[in-house]
Amino acid sequence: MKGTQSMHRPQKLGPRATQAAAFAALWAAAALVLLPVAAILGVMFVRGGRAISWEMLSSAEDGLLPAIVGTVTLVALTAVIAAPLGIAAAVYLREYAPRGPLVRLIRLAIVNLAGVPSVVYGLFGLAVFVTLLGFGRCLLAGACTLALLALPLVITASEEALRQVPERLRAASFALGATRWQTVRRIVLPNALPGIITGLILSVGRAAGETAPILFTAAFIALTKPFPSSVLDPIEALPFRLYYMATEAHGITEDAKWATAAVLVGLVLTINLVAVITRARLRGARRW
Amino acid sequence: MGLPGMDSELIVKPEGEVKIETSGLGLFYGEFQALRDVSVTIAARQITALIGPSGCSKTSFLRCLNRMNDLISGARVVGEVLLDGRDIYHEATDVAVLRKRVGMVFQTPNPFPMSIYDNVAYGPRLHGRCSRSELDEIVEKSLRAAALWEEAKDKLRKSALDLSGGQQQRLSIARVLAVEPEVLLMDEPCSALDPTATFRIEELMIELMTRYTIVIVTHNMYQASRVSHYAGFFLLGELVEYGPTEQIFENPKDQRTDDYVRGRFG
Amino acid sequence: MNTGARRVREWLIERAIQAAGAMAIVFVLAIFAFLLRDALPVFRETTVRELAAGRTWLPTAEPPKLGLLPLLLGSLYVTIGALLISVPLGVACAAFISEVAPRWMRETLKPAVEVLATIPSVVFGFLGLLLVGPWLAELLDLDVPLFAGLGSLMLAFMAMPMIVSLSEDAIRAVPMTLRENSLALGATQWQTIWRVVLPAGRSGIIAAALLGMGRAIGETMTVLMVTGNAAVIPLGLQGFLRPVRTMTATIAAEMGETAYNTPHYHALFAIGLLLFIITFAANTIADVVVRRSSRTSR
Repeated sequence: MKGTQSMHRPQKLGPRATQAAAFAALWAAAALVLLPVAAILGVMFVRGGRAISWEMLSSAEDGLLPAIVGTVTLVALTAVIAAPLGIAAAVYLREYAPRGPLVRLIRLAIVNLAGVPSVVYGLFGLAVFVTLLGFGRCLLAGACTLALLALPLVITASEEALRQVPERLRAASFALGATRWQTVRRIVLPNALPGIITGLILSVGRAAGETAPILFTAAFIALTKPFPSSVLDPIEALPFRLYYMATEAHGITEDAKWATAAVLVGLVLTINLVAVITRARLRGARRW
Repeated sequence: MGLPGMDSELIVKPEGEVKIETSGLGLFYGEFQALRDVSVTIAARQITALIGPSGCSKTSFLRCLNRMNDLISGARVVGEVLLDGRDIYHEATDVAVLRKRVGMVFQTPNPFPMSIYDNVAYGPRLHGRCSRSELDEIVEKSLRAAALWEEAKDKLRKSALDLSGGQQQRLSIARVLAVEPEVLLMDEPCSALDPTATFRIEELMIELMTRYTIVIVTHNMYQASRVSHYAGFFLLGELVEYGPTEQIFENPKDQRTDDYVRGRFG
Repeated sequence: MNTGARRVREWLIERAIQAAGAMAIVFVLAIFAFLLRDALPVFRETTVRELAAGRTWLPTAEPPKLGLLPLLLGSLYVTIGALLISVPLGVACAAFISEVAPRWMRETLKPAVEVLATIPSVVFGFLGLLLVGPWLAELLDLDVPLFAGLGSLMLAFMAMPMIVSLSEDAIRAVPMTLRENSLALGATQWQTIWRVVLPAGRSGIIAAALLGMGRAIGETMTVLMVTGNAAVIPLGLQGFLRPVRTMTATIAAEMGETAYNTPHYHALFAIGLLLFIITFAANTIADVVVRRSSRTSR
């Protein structure tokens, strides 16, 4: 091998030094992501927390109560619509579908549904639920639109939960003379339920924060009847209210804007936290 | 190789009532042939053991008898399997009913994550029995028949997962007995158990034999020679020899059988 | 229940489950069909070339000017800007999390990224509008605190969780033996990451970028609130510092006041259709990329 002469050649940075620099860059990248998150949460709860008052939360006139109630009923109805469809689709994919091109096509469709822009869902909701089916701009139309948006999430989470149930339990059930549906209903679904519920909660959290799909299908501001009495009534919703308050500048205090933002973020974070805790708890409790 | 009748002196037909008869049975997993032209007669209310070196053919054969291979995609069966004279692979067969008549106990105990009571009651509930008193009776009867009643009667509501390995296996047997099968297929039922538990299960088998036809796959030649009346030797997907147990173990006709039972391979 | 009735009931249930399974395909087709139905009439008023290459978007003028180019370019600028920030940052974070980070850092960063994913887009828009925008405008001495680059920045953080998590999966899927072989040849850990791990995880990372792009192009509320909504054609690098308008923001802003079945209405649906096609392409290509890589890496 060529010699070890110590000629003074201009040295490239040695590998150790390169590594140190690269790792420093990676740490910087991590910080660049971590700090904004901390900042967002911080400013949200400090600035927002300062601005929240009980009066603001509970007033039906210009407080947040109608929006809170609207969002809650909206996502509840969304879950009611999306759950049976999504769980059934997951059951089909995991328990019934024969291997082959059809399943691949369905999965591709699910991936695509998950990637459809939320405003396009809004357009679809407008064309189909509001206009074609004649619901008008109301809770039902909004919930149907959001259910479509939530569907891929529910299907994916449910399928994962079904997959966690060990195959041998199904085999034991079949060997006792059970049909496929009996096995699904008595063994697979009950044991997959925790994961399915966690998935539902997560999709509810997602739906709670969406604005574009309900822009032209459900949400309004300053309704004469602030609380819906039927599914065909229009509603207020937190995310829409936040948008409205942030962009229509007159007459709305900074405090009010921050409070609304903080309530929305708090709601969404709480829902997700519930899902995470549920998942951890139930994973610990399972034994088989 | 596999022409029926050609090896007929290696395949002995048992005396007495016939419960299951296979004729030219072949099994394919996709392109791969797992079983080749198996023709054998299984006697009613006797214990038949299937022995042979590790590989899937014994278990595959067993699973043909209750159509559990249907669950494997790409699995294909040729030939006939007759249960009381009727082909179970016929189109009109109700597979769920078949599996009620031909029950299976798996190698590793496999209790459902439910109470002991619910495990045993699972089968009867499937088939429509719902009344509490009926189920109580069935559960007790099955647990007694599986020699588990005394140990379990005070904890019927407790989770089945709390039982020991041997108890879980007896629970699996009770679970199968609860659907009142005619045939019991047992796939190496003792391989996951310690000697004491194994002994109890063997005793159980001998008791059960008077009421059920039992077919057991086992690696353990001593076990086979102890409990069974008829034995079949499988090698690489073929049934090499089949006959009364004493004959297979002490005086086999085929060299390969002789090599196996003397421990020269496998 | 006797077996006959039970069998019928079970047959019905199985049909319902099958129908539910096929539902995903039905919905994708339905979305496409309805977008198409309400978009096609726009061609009574204009041609494809005018629509696609037209430089003015003034749908309320008489006659309406329906040129998509400013909107397309607006979306493009914002998206590319977002990807330029989020892909390097996201992949770096993913590499950091799986290869370099000590446990305490990992357990802080991963939940932080997940929290980022749950924040609604309208909140990002809110923060951009009230905080980040004014701050940046002062920093960069801009007239208007609403501009394309601000949208890119906010979108970068919205797309980040997806890019981080998918890249992390791709990196984690690289077999340990590859790393071990590299280290055994005397490479440093960084050399291993840069020369072996990242290239091996290339297709997963590309898929992540594609999906991130789909996400960014489809984002509505954030860009609606922070990019200024001026339908002008952005030019050069300066374009990032000026207001633009994206396709998504256009739909969101104008649909509320558009009468049913007017050319404006149809034009907005045409934009929606275009968005659908773009994200469909991005998602399908990403899927193919992932599928092809998992086949070859066996």
